[in-house]
Amino acid sequence: MDRNKDRRILVCCGTGCLANNSYNVYLKFKERLSEDAEIEVKPIMKSTGCNGLCEKGPVVKILPDEISYFKVTVDDVGEIVEKTIKNFETVDRLLYYDTNSGKRIKSHKEASFYKGQLKIALRNIGEINPLSIEDYMERGGYKALKKALDMKPEDIIREVELSGLRGRGGAGFPTGVKWRTCSEYKDQPKYVVCNGDEGDPGAFMDRSIMEGDPNTVIEGMIICGYAIGAHRGFLYIRDEYELALKNVRAAIDNAREKGFLGKNILNSGFDFDLEIVRGGGAFVCGESSALMASIEGNVGEPRAKYIRSVERGLWDKPTVLNNVETWANIPPIIINGWKWFKSIGTEGNYGTKVFSLVGKVKNTGLVEVPMGTTLRQLVYDIGGGIINNRPFKAVQTGGPSGGCIPKEHLDIPLDFDSLKAIGSMMGSGGVIVMDDTTCMVDVARYYMNFLAEESCGKCTTCREGIRTMLHILTNITEGKGEMEDIELLKEIAETVMEASLCGLGKSAPNPVLTTLEYFKDEYIEHIADKRCASGVCKNLTSYYIDENKCIGCTICSKNCPVGAISGRLKEVHVIDEDRCIKCGTCAIKCPRGAVRIGGMKVEA
Amino acid sequence: MKLKIDGIICEGREGETLMEVAKRHGIHIPSLCYRKGFEGLARCRLCLVEVKEGSRRRIVSSCVYPIKENIEVTVTTDEIQRMRKNIIMLLLLKAPNNSYINKLAEEYKVAAPERYMNPLDDENCILCGLCVKACEKMGTNAISFVNRGIYKKVSTPYDDASKDCIGCGACAEVCPTNAILVEDNEGKRKIWNREFNMVKCSLCGSYFATEEAYKLMQEKLNDNEEPICNECRKKIAADKLKESFANIY
Ligand SMILES: Cc1cc2nc3c(=O)[nH]c(=O)nc-3n(C[C@H](O)[C@H](O)[C@H](O)COP(=O)(O)O)c2cc1C
Ligand code: SF4
Ligand code: FES
Ligand code: FES
Repeated sequence: MDRNKDRRILVCCGTGCLANNSYNVYLKFKERLSEDAEIEVKPIMKSTGCNGLCEKGPVVKILPDEISYFKVTVDDVGEIVEKTIKNFETVDRLLYYDTNSGKRIKSHKEASFYKGQLKIALRNIGEINPLSIEDYMERGGYKALKKALDMKPEDIIREVELSGLRGRGGAGFPTGVKWRTCSEYKDQPKYVVCNGDEGDPGAFMDRSIMEGDPNTVIEGMIICGYAIGAHRGFLYIRDEYELALKNVRAAIDNAREKGFLGKNILNSGFDFDLEIVRGGGAFVCGESSALMASIEGNVGEPRAKYIRSVERGLWDKPTVLNNVETWANIPPIIINGWKWFKSIGTEGNYGTKVFSLVGKVKNTGLVEVPMGTTLRQLVYDIGGGIINNRPFKAVQTGGPSGGCIPKEHLDIPLDFDSLKAIGSMMGSGGVIVMDDTTCMVDVARYYMNFLAEESCGKCTTCREGIRTMLHILTNITEGKGEMEDIELLKEIAETVMEASLCGLGKSAPNPVLTTLEYFKDEYIEHIADKRCASGVCKNLTSYYIDENKCIGCTICSKNCPVGAISGRLKEVHVIDEDRCIKCGTCAIKCPRGAVRIGGMKVEA
Repeated sequence: MKLKIDGIICEGREGETLMEVAKRHGIHIPSLCYRKGFEGLARCRLCLVEVKEGSRRRIVSSCVYPIKENIEVTVTTDEIQRMRKNIIMLLLLKAPNNSYINKLAEEYKVAAPERYMNPLDDENCILCGLCVKACEKMGTNAISFVNRGIYKKVSTPYDDASKDCIGCGACAEVCPTNAILVEDNEGKRKIWNREFNMVKCSLCGSYFATEEAYKLMQEKLNDNEEPICNECRKKIAADKLKESFANIY
């Protein structure tokens, strides 16, 4: 039993796993272990941040055995303690099922989902208790701060500059350049801001970092403060992120207690402190100038940026604003040096990027990979391919105002410049995989609808442009489209892109323009043939049964919720068009693929 | 510092916007939301111009762009003209029956696609923000932008009669599209869902301001005299001037 001396049981208590009752799993472990007289030396219990595999949560890891269990319930705890803790056996049914090899795997690290990954920003997440600053320090935390305080500010800036780090919040602006320009302004006070707004509903890497490793963000910000000569910083955190708020708050308190924040940090004579500001809620509030307006207590509207915020930002004072993930990259760069960082990734795009891989892929979750990893590797090697092995149709990257990337570009390297070149963007790092059941016109409509509510509405082009594009797209999906609409959409999209004030308006047309470019056929099909081949636009969809394929198994008629399908066993079945509500159930259930999708009228 | 706008050499001061410099030199840049004393709105997007800084060309909003030494500005290029037309088309879709916008559309030879125009739409507001700024300047802050995105509008809190509103009508006066309804009738004024009593001019007897606005004016000017309307004030001033001229000659 001595072997338990070094053992640790890590229970994931990120937002995803908590929602699946992981805290009670954690409590159950504690209770079970303390009650068990046979276990003399108790393993160490930790609750950790998100492991990035929320869909398969709650996740429990046992170290140093490197065993990972998934979908663990309170009822599984007894068995895990008996088998794994006492007898060093695995509970096979709780192991990770690797979709690529079709096998159960003992450590999730052997899974193809993990193999292509390299963790820098996420290095501590899932390994430490985010509420324990000691845990962070045990893994090298605050060593970068100590090192930085012994360096000249100029040398820190040079280190960041040489590393080639680019901002992870979307635009990819070189972080070192930002710090340098800000350091050159002498106006005081200066500010350091962390953008933790994460307005893209599909992305959750910033939340994960703030929840799972809040100290790394804080450490990065203190180092920047020292480098540019700022003494005050703000963490702007999305209001719904309760756990992140709680963990960051605790981390700030702990850091203050340890002397990493406050006056005379580690006897260096440098003062720096941090405050939390709760986010305003709209997507546009993540835009840097809107965010600063919001911190100042004004309406979250962007302003023109002819004067950059490094010169006049928060309260018109020199300000460095970086994204959560950017901050998390700073301590490792200071510790390991710029050469190490620059050895990862591709020319001009160094280091890693965290993606949140969601949609119709087998493995979803947070993925950190070297820049330049291809989209194909992400979707097929890491993501395990499309659910039910259906055909891949597109990937939408960069959040609500990103673009849709077709099959032809699957081999594109994922980095700032390559994505931009094909009309999409890195944005938040959200990656939504779509299969052939997705209608691309409807996708464009969906994003316009989102942006219509989540932009600020300040400028004519963005507000009225999005409203009109939404109107046109709605018409097309409802079967009221006309050919000239395609030109009109393009014309408006281009003006919105050029003439809008902020990054939202300037990128909002991306979903429209990329679908128009790569999926024009679908637009034409909707407009000219009045048909939605993926069966999404209900007005443009009808179902009929191919009499040559139907074997009369009756499955469709049994599953039809409105009894619209008739036919006897072993005879061809028929769908009653008048009763059909176009739910598509028959098409999914038919074992022979005999249910066909037609246009507005039955074609057969 | 010196800069060129459409080939004309102009002189400007550090911190001035391109729009201010152009205005001073009599160069017209289209705009809906710019007004002297109300700078910085940058909402309508009509004032876009092309700026050449060194070898770099870019499109900027002239109403908020701070001038730089030696830049060369072109007020209208083909690309910008196309954008302005599209912006006017979008405004026409927003306020299809507004006469000012229709005039603008005529001037720019813009037609909006009829399928997307609602002929019954009585919207007049194009959200330029001048009224909000005017109200802010009065110190009353009775109206503001509410909601966001395509649901953005100008209103009083919860669309109720605002207790802060003094009925001065400054908002209606600055509105380029006449979108704010002011009904003056027999000594009463209706604006922003509220009714005000008006004050009579002690000289000509016309109603000229709401009681609340008049009170504020008196406080600001530290003035306790009988109420006199603007017209009469002007007349008095002119008479005085005439009198003093008469005395000289
Ligand atoms: C509409 C819009 C939304 C944005 N939302 C976010 C966000 O949620 N989080 C973020 O870090 N950056 C966001 N950005 C980017 C920020 O404006 C800014 O560029 C970034 O935070 C700078 O940090 P970085 O250089 O470290 O990337 C957004 C930009 C736009 C235009
Ligand atoms: S582009 Fe859109 S989000 Fe940005 S300032 Fe203009 S209206 Fe607001
Ligand atoms: S919350 Fe546990 S894996 Fe994400
Ligand atoms: S005048 Fe510049 S945007 Fe309206």
